[in-house]
Amino acid sequence: MAWVTPEAPTRSELSACIQCGLCLPQCPTFRLTGMESASPRGRLMVMSAVAGGQAELNDVFDDLMSFCLQCRACEVVCPSMVPFGRAMEGARIEIAAQLPSPLRRLRRLITGRWIGSVRVMRSVTRIARMVQRNVPARWLPRQIKTSIGGLRPLPKKPLSTIGSTFAPVEPAGAGVAAVLAGCVMDPWFAEVHEATVQVLRRSGYRVVVPDGQTCCGALAAHDGDVLGTRRLARQNVKAFVSADLIVTDAAGCGAHLKEYGNWAGDAGVILASKVKDVTEIVAEAIADGRLPHLEVPRGKVAIQDPCHLRHAQRIVEEPRQIVAAAGYEPVEIDEDGMCCGAAGMYSVLQPAASDELGRKKADQVRASGSTLVASANPGCEIQLRGHLGGAYRVAHPVELYWEALQAADADTVGWSSAGEGNR
Amino acid sequence: MTLTAELRDILGHDRVLSEPLERWVYGIDSGVVRGDAELVAFPETTAEVASIVGLARHYRTPIVARGAGTGLAGGAVPTQPGLVVVLTKMNSVEIDEENATAWVGPGVINLDLSKQTEPLGYHFAPDPSSQSACTIGGNIANNSGGPHCLAEGSTVSHVLALEMVTADGDVVMLGGPAPDPVGLDLRGVVVGSEGTLGIITKALVRLTPNPPDVRTLLTAFASVEDAAATVSGIIARGVVPAALEMMDQRMTQAVERFVSAGFPTDAAAVLLAEVTGLSAAVEAEAAIVEEVAGQNNATTIRVAADEAERARLWLGRKSAFGAVAQAAPDYYLHDTVVPRTKLVETMTRVYEIADRYGIMMLNVFHAGDGNLHPLMAFDSEEEGMLDRVKEAARELVEICVDVGGSLSGEHGIGIEKRDLMKLVFNEADLDAQARVRESFDPDEMFNPDKILPAGSRCFDLGRPPLEGMWV
Amino acid sequence: MTSVRSALDGLPGQVDPIDGAPDADATVAPSSFEEIEAVLDAASEHHLRTLIWGGGSHQGYGGRLDPVVVLSTANLNRFVDFQPEDLTVTVEAGVLVEDLEAHLEQHGLTAALPETPGTATVGGVVAAGISGWRRARYGPTRERLLEVTLITGDGRKVRGGGRVVKNVTGFDLPRLATGSFGSLGLIGQVCLKLWPLPPAKATVMASDGDAALATAFRPQAVVEMGGSARVFLGGTPEEVEGQASAIGGEVVDGWNWPGELAGEVQWSLRVPPSKVRTAINEVNAKYEYQAALGVGEILIGGPDGDVQALRTWAESVGGALVLVAGPAELYERIDPWGTPPPALSLQKRIVQRFDPVRILNPGRLPGGL
Repeated sequence: MAWVTPEAPTRSELSACIQCGLCLPQCPTFRLTGMESASPRGRLMVMSAVAGGQAELNDVFDDLMSFCLQCRACEVVCPSMVPFGRAMEGARIEIAAQLPSPLRRLRRLITGRWIGSVRVMRSVTRIARMVQRNVPARWLPRQIKTSIGGLRPLPKKPLSTIGSTFAPVEPAGAGVAAVLAGCVMDPWFAEVHEATVQVLRRSGYRVVVPDGQTCCGALAAHDGDVLGTRRLARQNVKAFVSADLIVTDAAGCGAHLKEYGNWAGDAGVILASKVKDVTEIVAEAIADGRLPHLEVPRGKVAIQDPCHLRHAQRIVEEPRQIVAAAGYEPVEIDEDGMCCGAAGMYSVLQPAASDELGRKKADQVRASGSTLVASANPGCEIQLRGHLGGAYRVAHPVELYWEALQAADADTVGWSSAGEGNR
Repeated sequence: MTLTAELRDILGHDRVLSEPLERWVYGIDSGVVRGDAELVAFPETTAEVASIVGLARHYRTPIVARGAGTGLAGGAVPTQPGLVVVLTKMNSVEIDEENATAWVGPGVINLDLSKQTEPLGYHFAPDPSSQSACTIGGNIANNSGGPHCLAEGSTVSHVLALEMVTADGDVVMLGGPAPDPVGLDLRGVVVGSEGTLGIITKALVRLTPNPPDVRTLLTAFASVEDAAATVSGIIARGVVPAALEMMDQRMTQAVERFVSAGFPTDAAAVLLAEVTGLSAAVEAEAAIVEEVAGQNNATTIRVAADEAERARLWLGRKSAFGAVAQAAPDYYLHDTVVPRTKLVETMTRVYEIADRYGIMMLNVFHAGDGNLHPLMAFDSEEEGMLDRVKEAARELVEICVDVGGSLSGEHGIGIEKRDLMKLVFNEADLDAQARVRESFDPDEMFNPDKILPAGSRCFDLGRPPLEGMWV
Repeated sequence: MTSVRSALDGLPGQVDPIDGAPDADATVAPSSFEEIEAVLDAASEHHLRTLIWGGGSHQGYGGRLDPVVVLSTANLNRFVDFQPEDLTVTVEAGVLVEDLEAHLEQHGLTAALPETPGTATVGGVVAAGISGWRRARYGPTRERLLEVTLITGDGRKVRGGGRVVKNVTGFDLPRLATGSFGSLGLIGQVCLKLWPLPPAKATVMASDGDAALATAFRPQAVVEMGGSARVFLGGTPEEVEGQASAIGGEVVDGWNWPGELAGEVQWSLRVPPSKVRTAINEVNAKYEYQAALGVGEILIGGPDGDVQALRTWAESVGGALVLVAGPAELYERIDPWGTPPPALSLQKRIVQRFDPVRILNPGRLPGGL
């Protein structure tokens, strides 16, 4: 019966692949297994087989598609420009539609509904904090061991920035930046938000975190949950309707927001056109002199490229420019930008592959000789910290820049970093 | 017991694929013919390969060895339901710096080897456009080339020894680390045999020193004739550049959309020339290239300013086939070689054919070698198109053979060009090749139906051997 | 069925016995492939052991043969096709290497065949798989053999490869023929890939061969003999000059190739390039030698006695010690090739299919094939 939903991979998406195979070595799961069925080309071929009625959409199809990290490294090297990420989301929607299961329903509840609720996320944070402080790692199931181990120390009282406004630091005039608070960024990565807000202010932006916003919906989309993804997207479209610039400090969220056209019609296209990753904004501000180049040398920092920054958004130079402006020497760890294995819920759903990729990434960091890693995505940060252990620090590049800026402020008489925020 | 069960006894459950969807992806390579992979096995050691061959022999199941599946002639397609042995997991690399060689597993990706040897100042010279993906085992099977084979030779020039599992399941070593191993050069005949003579489990390859200096020149012309004359002119001046690559206008435009490498899209032909070596030589040779291009009315002569620009130019060149997908959903590609002096004549006639059949034709090729890659872009859904493409392809090949050319320069014959072999070789020639194949694999267990058209082994052995003549 | 004698008498192209060739019942020098087909067909029918004779330069390789027929390629000496712009030349087997290279030189080209060929023919060099010193730069002869025409042992003319510089159209018969010592068939005609001769040439007399090899960038050849080395350079004048001064030592214009090695007994010692120094140390004090540095072949004049230790060592590092020339009795005492190659049964099966009665140079190849 081939496909049953309008979101299914289309003929033109699938036939764009000419099977040249250039994607194979870029694909982390192909590198792990050496198997064609774990490669982008193989997955597209499998989708085509189902589309053409030569094969059934069955549990094997589900397994093959679920093994994909959706890192989209393949898209970068594809000379035929196959929209692989889109096709894979389509395939997962088909799986969700054709192979319903209790487990999938539970996931849909989590990633499509609960995640969007600040109240639920507060409760989750409290439970996670308890686990983080009281449960030895060896007692934790494999699926969450790395994630719990990789979290920043969780706050006792999780706060939310939603609804806040922050005035620009003079000279103002850069406009208004509407920040996406995100589902886990808000309660778990308050320091990153803080850095984002402060650095944006220093770049001359008035910063708002609009009310009514919610989780971007990336996790739901990756899991094939059309309704949940649409619902979250519509809510954000409404919340950000008056924004001219939407800033996110999580690469996964940015990549998904930039594809809202697939989920929220024309309004989604409009929203997508306004989205920038914070690294783009900050690098631009540094380049045009609104933010300073700091001269104090601060040592090496290993650069980890989140897939959804580098492959999905094609943002490569900006994080490097930012840490360099902060006084760090950026160190490359992987010229291909291979996925670290975090990949949203992948670490929970495919713990074996996720762990192996995480270990490889950690080895690359260790080989770099730097104990500091810059990563612009929460999932990657957790994965890296989980695999690197306590001797290493993982931070967002903008966070590193903000620290350097504060240190420079302290050395400069007459400067004050205290803003007039009203949080 | 079944073959599946016995294979799983040896390899474990996960290294044998039997699910239809998992096997489906092994029914095809980068070519257009699809076959049926009944079972797929992933050995990790030579001993495992030998056991697999033994089992396949016992069950009378044909074997197709496969690397990354980037071949363009259907060489890795199982034409008969059978076992596909995928060698991607055999990817060890042992570098011998003293001898500038490396023992590599067949599953090592071509570019990975060069990346590994780069810090030592070496690279693996064959550089097919698929080098970021293709395996060295596949390179050996197809005697792969690439732009830089103009000066460095194809894969066969870079393989010193092969460890191979024979049709009997024996492990033999062909060739060796010293020059001129004694006896017949079996290593030489196994290279390029497209997996029909045995399964290569390890190879000793030569590493080539990285040139101290490189200069990449982009030249563009208002006519293909001028570009081709430049190619001949450069060689006639005694310069064999490291690479001499040509793209026609349609191809340049397709490539430029994918990677903005700065190819002039208004030129009829773009010629990419690379000269390497010591600075003094590079300087002199680059000057000759510029001079000859100028004499032949080049509209653009540009030297890549830095490594980044050079990398972009090459990325553009190597993405050419994939970039064609933007022109039309399907493509069909040939790999003929013609004497360099026949380039212009051949190209003119090739375009004529395309026009006559109403097929879009793009050209990107190794001009220095006379190795053409005429590429027809089309939509197979269009009524009668596939037949037209096949007809046109046949005419095209006939033209190339007619001017003294050959069917394939680097992609191999596989299944797609097999029946065209009769255009190049007569019965006795094909019979001789079939005898070679028969010596290695009398039951045609390895990659059956490839290279030689059916019935090639057409003569008797002649007279029976006399007792006592044989030691 | 005709008798052997009348078959011999009926062979086309009969000539007088050749100087230096072993005694035989008939000597023929056919001048066409058809005549060769007829000779080999008759030889197969009557089981006549046939020795193929080119210039006689490399007859010292391999097992000795007591031939019934000597088949000379002297009358197969035509230039068939020369395409300077395509960098290819096609010649018949009996063309002298010296004549071919002289002709090519007029066009500024070379086939990079042996530099001091003497009477060697192109066919002989290919059949024996002999390469020149310049293999260090251009690779061995087999890499330039684009097309071959063989007349198989059972008298069939077959062609493999093609007259284009790059080709993967079918099984590589040219490779298989190179170094086959005629065991598959008489090599009747070959097409060779050519290289432009460098505009400037020089020979540097260097004191330290290894240092010179490390300094020179892809020289044409580095040959060490008797403790000093010659570095053969080719390229643009600036390049050659720059290289020569970097290497240091007396510079001679042009290429001053080593002369013939002295000694009735000669060996070719083949080892991986990294083992050349050890090999030289083994032979240096006792024998004259010419070592191709960076390649791994060391030609040795002598010894005529016990070579087992040297051979065992060479084979243990993946090489061989091959007898190139010597008195007949030496061939009876010592296997000229040493240990046969590991895939001997495969070699045998191939030979069997090209020369089923085994009339062409039987016993010449390693393992007595």
